[in-house]
Amino acid sequence: MREVITGNGKIIKACGLEGSGCSLPAGQVGGDFFEFISCDKRTVFAAIGDVMGKGFHAARLMETICHMLRECARINPHPLEVVRRLNKVGGYELRKCGAFATLCLLCYDGIAGRLTCVNAGHHPPLLLSNGRVRVAQCRGVALGLLEDYLGSGAEEFFLAAGDAVVLYTDGLVEASGLGGQRYGQERLKEIVRLQNGADADRMKQNILSDLETFTRGFSQKDDVTLVVMKVTGKAGERSGD
Amino acid sequence: MKGVEIRIRQQKGMVTLELEGELDFSNVEQLQQEIQRHPEEVVEIDLQGLLFIDSSGAGMLLSQARYLYRQGRTLRIVNIPDFIREDLEMIGFFKVLEILESNPNA
Repeated sequence: MREVITGNGKIIKACGLEGSGCSLPAGQVGGDFFEFISCDKRTVFAAIGDVMGKGFHAARLMETICHMLRECARINPHPLEVVRRLNKVGGYELRKCGAFATLCLLCYDGIAGRLTCVNAGHHPPLLLSNGRVRVAQCRGVALGLLEDYLGSGAEEFFLAAGDAVVLYTDGLVEASGLGGQRYGQERLKEIVRLQNGADADRMKQNILSDLETFTRGFSQKDDVTLVVMKVTGKAGERSGD
Repeated sequence: MKGVEIRIRQQKGMVTLELEGELDFSNVEQLQQEIQRHPEEVVEIDLQGLLFIDSSGAGMLLSQARYLYRQGRTLRIVNIPDFIREDLEMIGFFKVLEILESNPNA
């Protein structure tokens, strides 16, 4: 995996996929996080989440959850098992603090062109394919709320070259503009739909630019984290990035 | 309106806390203390006037539900505005409430 880190952002290229993510804090540091994890030559994970709370405490818990996520992916990289295990070990840490965390985990297999999604209380990803945007259906209870993870299971998609996936935190869709109006998922879907042809980093910048236009002049309550992934090659031709 | 205003109505065996404003990280303790202060068997939280709830607010409500269920009491959340219901549904809030009601140690 090739990775470039710039301030709050990160760009990766791996397994026929390019990914670009960033986390923009709103005032006091919060618990938003995103991660790209490369397991082997054919698979890459992308995760996004939000630990309950604000400040040093939430940031420290977020670091713990990220570390455990990497460990869980290393022990058994099956996405559903990663989330189940993380809910056990990370959930224990969260419960000790009376907290919980949302997580959406994606695993992309560059040989099969298969994207697997498991959700623990997070906004489901948007998928852009041929100018059409759809919302993944996977749902689940956030990490730390129950001893055993409970969710709709792993949802799978087969992606073609040019298809893109967008992950985001609630700070994006709940951002407020004129008259207290929310940015909302519908506006996000529309701006994503218009990104056909743009690379992952350009898509991310265009979405953030639209958000900035919407929220200009209004202070925001929550961090905004956004991750865009785009398939750059055909399935089966992707291990040599 | 910033902050949260709590109006209290008491009747036999039940207290209702009506919330107005924004429930977030900065004021969840205020509501938590109010929930724990009342000895009634049923504590009802009325969200009709709530404009915003963040993850700290949702987490606190679930921890208080667990706390009351363990004592054989009930936390009831009523009049939830649609946009708040959607946010709570996302994290599995109602599923957790349902499970805690039958097993507070889940």
